This record gives sequence, C-alpha cells and structure tokens, in this order.
Amino acid sequence: MDFQVRKDGESIELLLSGRLEFTDHDRLHDVIELLETRGVRRFIIDAKDLTFIDSAGIGMLLILQDETEQRNIKMIVRKLHGDVKRSIDLARIGEIITIEE
Amino acid sequence: MDGSAALPALPATGPAGVMRPFSVVRDRVPADVAARAAARFGLSAAGGGTAAAVLLARADRDIVRSAFGLNGFLTVELTEREDGTGTLDADWLGAPPVEQGFYLSLTTGTAYGLQCAVLVCDELARRGVLTPERRGNIELCLHEAIANAIVHGNLEIPSATKDQPDGYRLFSRLLRERLGDGAVRQRRIDIFARWTSEGLTIAVVDQGNGFDTTALPQDTDSGAHSGRGFLFMRALARRINVTDGGRCTLLQFDL
Repeated sequence: MDFQVRKDGESIELLLSGRLEFTDHDRLHDVIELLETRGVRRFIIDAKDLTFIDSAGIGMLLILQDETEQRNIKMIVRKLHGDVKRSIDLARIGEIITIEE
Repeated sequence: MDGSAALPALPATGPAGVMRPFSVVRDRVPADVAARAAARFGLSAAGGGTAAAVLLARADRDIVRSAFGLNGFLTVELTEREDGTGTLDADWLGAPPVEQGFYLSLTTGTAYGLQCAVLVCDELARRGVLTPERRGNIELCLHEAIANAIVHGNLEIPSATKDQPDGYRLFSRLLRERLGDGAVRQRRIDIFARWTSEGLTIAVVDQGNGFDTTALPQDTDSGAHSGRGFLFMRALARRINVTDGGRCTLLQFDL
C-alpha cells in the first residue's frame, strides 16, 4: 500500500493506492501520526486507487476509526469500488465507519 | 539422467549471483517434500517420486512465476539461502504433470510479502482454470488462508493481539521479531491446488502450533480489529474445512 496526504484547513485527506493487507501494519503508525496534526477535524480516506483490501486491512480501518474518535476527529471513507467494496460489504462495517460514494 | 546440476535458461532476476536456484528434477523430489505432499494431500504419485518438480533457493515473485511457467507439478523453495539446493537434475522437458494441479512450497520468509494468492491465481488463470469472473472471490479466500497460515500459524502471533489496547503496535513488534528469527522464517507454507471440470480445491498448510478449530468465530463483533478472515472464506467458498489441528485450511470452489 502507498499513500499520499493532502492537508486543507481542518481536513486531512489520505489517498490510498495499491493493496491494503496484512503486510502493511508498519505503515499504520505513520498514518496515525497524521492525526496528531493540530486543529484537524476531518480525516478523509480516498480509496479510488485502492485495488484490494483484506480482513487485516479492514481491521486497520477500524483501528483508525477508534483513533480518530479518541481525538474527536470525523473519519470518512470515500470512493470504494470493485474488490475493495466487496470486502467492505462482506465485513459489514458500514454502521461503524462513515462511507461516502 | 546423471544428476548433474545443469540449469535451464531463464530470465535473469534478482541480484547478480543469486540466480542459481532453478533446477527441475524428475524422480528426484526430496523425500521429505514428497512425503509431506503425499501425507497431506493423498498424492500417491508424488510419494512414489515420479512428480516433476522445480526446486528453488531464495525465491522472489519473478522466480516463482518463471518456475510455474515450467509446468512442473511441485514448486518448492528449499531455502531462503542460495546455497541450499544441492545436486539437481535439469531433465524437465516433457515431464507430465501428475494430475490436474500443482503444489507450491515456500519458506515463510519468502511467502511474507510475496502476494502468494496473486501468484497462485495468476497460475490458475494461465492454466485455464480461473475465469476473471471467478477470480476475485477465490483470490480473497486464498489470500486470507495464506495470511492466517503465515501470521497466526508459522509466526505464532495470536489473532486477538490487535484487539488489545495499543494492539497494532504490539502486532507490528511481534511481526518484526518473528520475521527476524531465522528458524521461524524457514517454516514452510505449502499451497496445493487441484481441479476438475466442476470444482477447484486449494489447501494451505503451515507448520505452526495449530489452534482449537472448534473455537473458530461464527460471527465477528462488527467493531473488532481481527477475526474476519474466516468469515470471508465461509461467505465466498463453497466449502471450507480446517484439518490437521488447525494447520491445514482446505478451500473448495465451484468452477
């Protein structure tokens, strides 16, 4: 998995690309550090270029959800499609994570 | 066949000096590999030493793809080190497959990060077994089985680790520690695929301590950070069996 970061006022946008899977755990620490940015209120995960997510990757999204909640930051996942959407639907996490088209 | 180590021509991959590994043998499948394949998958022919095999040292993604391309039945990474192949026989041309299937055995150190499910599904597609429509679900199931075998099997990291406070840090630390242990890295991940016109069966086998298969989750707390792999497999495969005390996951799919 690779990611790029865009910061705009109170929002941080994380643009994920490639595959988010069990071998990516070491990257999670870097992402969580972004949440320490002063004044951030929204954390947007853009999945347009994400091609695959496994159950461990979904676990990482849920860890990010917990971490953002602890900091009163709103997390939104956007642009799910294809195999990524299939996995998210199977995991039934739509009640916990805010998903936008 | 004189047993000399002649190498078939293959595209150069990996760092210079590491490209020793390819050799293919007939009637020379290592006894422990043949015995493991026969015992776990009921392969009488492999046990008799007639399977065509590709033996590797220090595999990477390109090497595994090239090995598959030789159409051997067994593709076995003997070691992560380049000096472990021993005397090999390169008489592979025309060696018939034992049956409709193939067997891939990798060290954990290599399998981690190799995206084995992609490699196996690419090979199934190349052999005309997988259509694009079927591939996505099968690849996800296989990926989950392999990830479990690596992380919870051979690396012995409990699945509940991530649900502890700060569990993701602990999980990352355990991963680094276990992958840094040479003996653990040498544990094997075996993947065996065979098929008929109706169905595909894939077994994923590890060398970990196994687990209590009666405790497999039927459902997962929607907020839990782990435990969805088996739910995915149950939802997408025709059938899933866990045998060998939790060390073998057998996935069956319609074709």
